Amino acid sequence: MNEDDIYRTSTQFRFWTYTAKALTDLRASSNSLAASRVRDAIKRSREQGSKSETSTNNAVPEVDCLTVEEEQKLVGWYCTKAMEFCDFSEFPKAVKATAVQFLKRFYLSTSPMTYHPKQMMLSAIYLATKVENFYIGIAEFAKMIPKTTADDILAPEFLLTQGLRFTFDVRHPYRSLEGGIMELHEMSRGSYIPPHGSSFTTEDVRVGILKVKSHRGKPATMTPDECAERIKRAHNKAGDILTKGALLTDAYFLYTPSQIWMSALLAADKPLAEFYLHIILSGTPNGSVSEPSSLELRLLSLLEQCAGLMTRSSSRGPDETETMELKRIDKKLYHCRNPEKIDLVGMNKAVKEGSNGDKVDEEKVVKKRKIERDRAAKEEQDLFGAPLKK
Amino acid sequence: MAISPNNLEPQNARETKAPAAAKLKSLPVRRNQVDSAGKIETGADLTEHLNLEIKNKYEKDRKLGEGTYATVFLGHLKKDPKSEVAIKKIKVMQEYKDGISVSAIREIKFLQELSHPNIIAMHDVYSSKNQNLCLVLEFLPLGDLEMLIRDSEGIRYGTADIKAWMAMLGRGVWWCHENFVLHRDIKPNNLLIAANGEIKLADFGLARSFADPYNRMTWNVITRWYRPPELLYRARHYGGAVDVWSVGCVFAELILRVPYLAGTSDVDQLDKICQAIGSPTEQNWPGVSELQDYVKSESIRPLQKKESFLGLFGTVGEGGVDLLMSTLILDPRRRVTAKQFLQHRWWTSEPRPTKTENLPRKGGVSAREKVGEDLKRRGGELDNDKGADKVARKLDFGNRSKQAV
Repeated sequence: MNEDDIYRTSTQFRFWTYTAKALTDLRASSNSLAASRVRDAIKRSREQGSKSETSTNNAVPEVDCLTVEEEQKLVGWYCTKAMEFCDFSEFPKAVKATAVQFLKRFYLSTSPMTYHPKQMMLSAIYLATKVENFYIGIAEFAKMIPKTTADDILAPEFLLTQGLRFTFDVRHPYRSLEGGIMELHEMSRGSYIPPHGSSFTTEDVRVGILKVKSHRGKPATMTPDECAERIKRAHNKAGDILTKGALLTDAYFLYTPSQIWMSALLAADKPLAEFYLHIILSGTPNGSVSEPSSLELRLLSLLEQCAGLMTRSSSRGPDETETMELKRIDKKLYHCRNPEKIDLVGMNKAVKEGSNGDKVDEEKVVKKRKIERDRAAKEEQDLFGAPLKK
Repeated sequence: MAISPNNLEPQNARETKAPAAAKLKSLPVRRNQVDSAGKIETGADLTEHLNLEIKNKYEKDRKLGEGTYATVFLGHLKKDPKSEVAIKKIKVMQEYKDGISVSAIREIKFLQELSHPNIIAMHDVYSSKNQNLCLVLEFLPLGDLEMLIRDSEGIRYGTADIKAWMAMLGRGVWWCHENFVLHRDIKPNNLLIAANGEIKLADFGLARSFADPYNRMTWNVITRWYRPPELLYRARHYGGAVDVWSVGCVFAELILRVPYLAGTSDVDQLDKICQAIGSPTEQNWPGVSELQDYVKSESIRPLQKKESFLGLFGTVGEGGVDLLMSTLILDPRRRVTAKQFLQHRWWTSEPRPTKTENLPRKGGVSAREKVGEDLKRRGGELDNDKGADKVARKLDFGNRSKQAV
C-alpha cells in the first residue's frame, strides 16, 4: 500500500474530487434545482400576500434567478472575505484554508439563492476553528465580529455540516510543500539521498541543482548560497499561491494535494521544479536517464494545467469591473432569494423547540416568522456594512 | 506522494455525486403544505435529500445505553433485517452552547477517514429532525477487552491469544499513525470485540492529527493509567509515541490481568512508573529536565533490568518481554514506533497467534450491553461506577491563551 492508496481512502478523494465535467454538471443541477424552488417559494408568498387583496392573479413577472457563473462569482467573493477575516484575526492558515474549502464544498450542492453565503461564511470559519484545533468559545468568537450574535453564527452550522456530508477532514498541500522544500535544500547541501533504484548519486544531485537553468532558460552556475536563496524565493512564491489561488479556484476539487503543491512550485520556479521532479522520479523505470520519461512528461503537463488554473487572474482579488459586477449580482440576488430560507436563526429555533409549538396560535406563529424574516432580511443588508463597496 | 500515474488523470475520479444529483432532480418538488401546526413544509435541498436517504436506510430497534453525551441504539438495515448496527445519537443541542461539540466533530472527522479492520467502522452519518447527529457504527456484540481481562474466573487465555489481540491493536494504531492521527485514549475498554473475534479501536473523541512543528498540543489526554511520562510532565510537543506507551500498558495488563500502572493521582502515576521502570533522568532521557513539570526526585530509581520484567511477564517469552519493554521506554524518542512494533521478531516466533475465530470470547447479554456503555461515553470518560477521577476530558478549551488542544 503506497501513499496514493492511502489518499484514495480519504473523503477528500471519495466525496470531493471530481472531473471538470462532473463539477460543471453538479453546479448546473444544483442551480436549476434551487431556481425552481425559489420560483415556487416566491409564488407561494405572493399568493399568501394577495389573499387579502382582490386577486389580480396574472402578469406576475417570472423571477430572474442567478446563473451558475453569477453564483460562483458571489461565492468566490465571500471566500475572499472569509480569508480576509481569518488573516485579520490571525488564525492559522489551516483554519483559513479549511473554512474556504468548506464554503466551496457546501456551494457545490447548494445555491446562494437558498442560503446566502454571507450567513454561511462565519459558520464555516467557526466550524473550521473546531476542526483545525483552534477552538474558541462562541461568545468570544462572536465578539470579534460587529453586529453578530452567537446565534447568527451557530444557526447555519447544522445546515453546513449536512451540506458537507459530515466530512470535516480537508487535506492541504502545506506540509508537503515544506517537505519538498527541505528536500531541495538537502539536494543543494549534498545531503540528499536519491530514491531507491536511481542511478544518480548524492553528488550528482548536488552538482545538478547548482546548474539548474534560470527562469529565462539561461544556463547558470550557482554557489550553494545562491541556490539556497533561490529555493527560498521559490518557497515563498509557492506558499503564496497555496494560500491564495489554490484556495479560490477549483484546484482542490480537481487535483491531489501533492499535485497542488508541485504545481505551485512549478509556477514559482519552473526549471527548479522540473529538476526536482526528475530526481524524485529517477527511481521509477526509465526515470534515471537524462531525458524525461513518459510518466514525467504526463505529470508535467498535468502540473502545468493545475499551475495555470491557480495563477489565472480570477484567483486574485476582484478588480474594479469585477466589483461592479458583484454589486449587480448581489442586487439581483436580493430579488431571487428563497424567502423561506432567509431566517436561519428562526428556522433553527423552530427545529430545536421541536414539535412543542403545536398549540401556539397558528397565525401568531406565521406572523412572528414573518417579522423575524423581515428583520433578518434587513439586518442581512448591513451585517458586514456594505460589503461590496471597496 | 499522491502523484502516481493512477492519480494522473482527474478523469479517473469517481463521479459520485453527479448521478445522485440527476436522480434527485427528477424527484417531484414537494408543494407547500401548511400543516396543522402552521409550519410551512418546503422542498428539501439536495443535501437534505441525501440525508433522508441515508436515514431511511436504517431502523432503530432498541436502546442499548444512554449517557449525557450520547444514546446508543441497536438497529438494522431495512434492506436486511438480520443485519446489526449500533446507532450512536449524539445529543448536540443539550449541554453545548458552542454548536456541535468538538469531541463529536473529532470522532466524525476521523472515523470518516480511517477505514481499517481494527478500527471501528462508521457506515454512515445522518441527522435526525431535531438536529441530533447519528453515527451508524458497526455493531460489536462481544464487549470489550476489559471484560475479558477482568473475568479471570470465566475466561482463560494464553500467550497465543495475547499475541493475536496485540497484533490487531498494533495494526489499528499503526493505521492511525500512518494517517497522521493520534488516538490519545487507548485503553482496554476502548478496544471492542467484533462478532468474529476481531479487536476494534473505538472512541476517537480525543483524537487529533499530528501537529505541525512548533504547534503546541495539550498534555491532558489519555486516561491516567495509560498515560506516558512525557504527558505527565506536561510535554506540549509529542507524537505517536504517546499511543505506543498506552499499547504497552494494555499489553502488560493482558498478561497480568490487572492494570499495570494504576496510579491514584498524576503524582502517584509518575511514582508507579519510576518504581516499575525507573526514574527518568537526563542520562536515560536527554532533555527530560526541560519539560514543564519535571521534578528531580530525591531518590533516583535505576532502570529495571530485563530480568525483573521477565519475572513479571515471562509467560509471553523473552521475545514478548523484549517487545513490551520497547513500548515502555521512558524516552519517547527511543520508544518503538507503531511500525517497528509490528516488525518485531516476537510475531514470527512460536507460538503462532491464535486464529481470530478461535479467540476466547465472552458472549451473551452482558457483552452486548457493555458495548452500549462503551459507545455512549465520550473520550476520556470512564464508567460512572468506577469512581476515581481518571478523566482526561477537560481540554484547555475556551481559553485562547492556551489554544493547544
